[in-house]
Amino acid sequence: MIGFLMNSWVARVIPIGMVLLAVQTTLLVELRPFGVSVQIVLAYVAATGAVGGVERGAIVGFTVGVMYDLAVGTPLGATAVTMALAGYVAGIGRLFRIESHWWILALQSAVGAAVGEAMVPVVRLVIGEASVSPTGLLTVVGVVAVAALMASPVLAPLGRWSLSLQRSEMKLPPEIRAEV
Amino acid sequence: MPLYSAGRRRVIIALALTSALLLTLDLRGNRLFDAARSGFTVALQPFQQAAEVASTPIERLWRAYSDFDALEEENRVLRAQVDAQRSAEIAAQNAIIENQDLLALNSLESLASYDSVTARLVGQSPTNFDQQVEIDRGSIHGIRVGMSAVNEAGLVGKVTRVAPTSSVIMLVTDPSYAVQVKILSVSAEDPEQVVPGFTTTTVAAEEESFPGADQGAVREEFPIVTSTTTTVALADAVILPEVEVIRETGVLRGQGDERLPRVSFVVGNSAFGRIEIGDTVFTAGGSTSLAPPNIPVGRVANVITRAGTAGQELEIALSPDLGRLQFVRVVLYQPPTELQP
Repeated sequence: MIGFLMNSWVARVIPIGMVLLAVQTTLLVELRPFGVSVQIVLAYVAATGAVGGVERGAIVGFTVGVMYDLAVGTPLGATAVTMALAGYVAGIGRLFRIESHWWILALQSAVGAAVGEAMVPVVRLVIGEASVSPTGLLTVVGVVAVAALMASPVLAPLGRWSLSLQRSEMKLPPEIRAEV
Repeated sequence: MPLYSAGRRRVIIALALTSALLLTLDLRGNRLFDAARSGFTVALQPFQQAAEVASTPIERLWRAYSDFDALEEENRVLRAQVDAQRSAEIAAQNAIIENQDLLALNSLESLASYDSVTARLVGQSPTNFDQQVEIDRGSIHGIRVGMSAVNEAGLVGKVTRVAPTSSVIMLVTDPSYAVQVKILSVSAEDPEQVVPGFTTTTVAAEEESFPGADQGAVREEFPIVTSTTTTVALADAVILPEVEVIRETGVLRGQGDERLPRVSFVVGNSAFGRIEIGDTVFTAGGSTSLAPPNIPVGRVANVITRAGTAGQELEIALSPDLGRLQFVRVVLYQPPTELQP
């Protein structure tokens, strides 16, 4: 059991999540381009979704989201659901593409991160946590998406490593490979 | 490859249901989750310390790049303000001492009645939708959930989460923050000649509130505004005319980072017309209030008249600069509503 866990993606995703959370809660609360906190954890989830596909993206997003909720003090499950959605959305592109160029992965990551960040106020509103004003939401989503796009060349290989994926696995999903 | 295969649908449904379950349990209050949070905070601490050490030079570079011009301009403005306020300080100090003496003489509570813990800010909220900061003092220093945080300028927020050696403070600007406040408006024929705190007295009206009002709950039918007008004739002050101190109370709510907090009132209060831009706002205190009375909050920046029966609202320019907090003082006053059973 322990051996299985140590070899599984959990043993890689959790330490990576801890390191990224530490960066998120220290460095990135100070560096605020246009007054927006860049979401490196969300960018990692989106990049992992882009290289791993919808299921793996959603599961990694959920796991890291729970860690985020525990660290930040937001209601448990609130960030988890938005990050799961971000991983899912970023992974959708993998269903349609043949080659995984770095710029396609970057675009997928940006879209996933944008959707995830845009869902945060929606989820908060649903659970009655706060009435977040839509003022500035576009700026927030834009900056978070651009940051995810720029970080993708670094975070996508990290996501691939955390899921123990080979490059060949990324290039052609098995289902499509069978059809071809 | 289908977008919604059976396996994929199962995963998504499982994650959604798990999220809903976690949210439900957490929002209802769960000791297990609280313990998990504390444990995770402790586990994350070494990572954060390492990240802080590694990121400090980058932060300094960023600040040097982004803040230099603004700081230079601010420094120039502040120097002018310091010069202007130097003379007012002496009169204010005298007024404060007299005020404290009078409160003590009449056994009335004030901010000075409570112990406090000074804490340094060690972090801000990493999200873009919460206005929270983290401080380096926690439960072992006597801090509990619900306590108010202030600085030299006034009310900063309230403690929402406490770990042994750290706490999280929700700032006044957070949309979830609400507190009962009073607006003091001194009106006179010649306002220039009124000396604040010199010869005026304020009679506190019986405050009407309801449980949870200061935690964001709204009950429309319940009157949350009271008004008292006290007229004091200044017997010995020949120069000074008759002075009126108008006292309104309402609920101040945060509106997010980019908008000023607002005080809402019920409709039809006769004294509304008298509140003007620049009037001072203090915490109201009371048995259900999260903050002890008489903490400065800010000044009225705008009076908003809403159509129909919606009543009026006040926009408040906060006294503390929440963007530049370095230290805060946590007042060791715990409102009865936050006390653990």
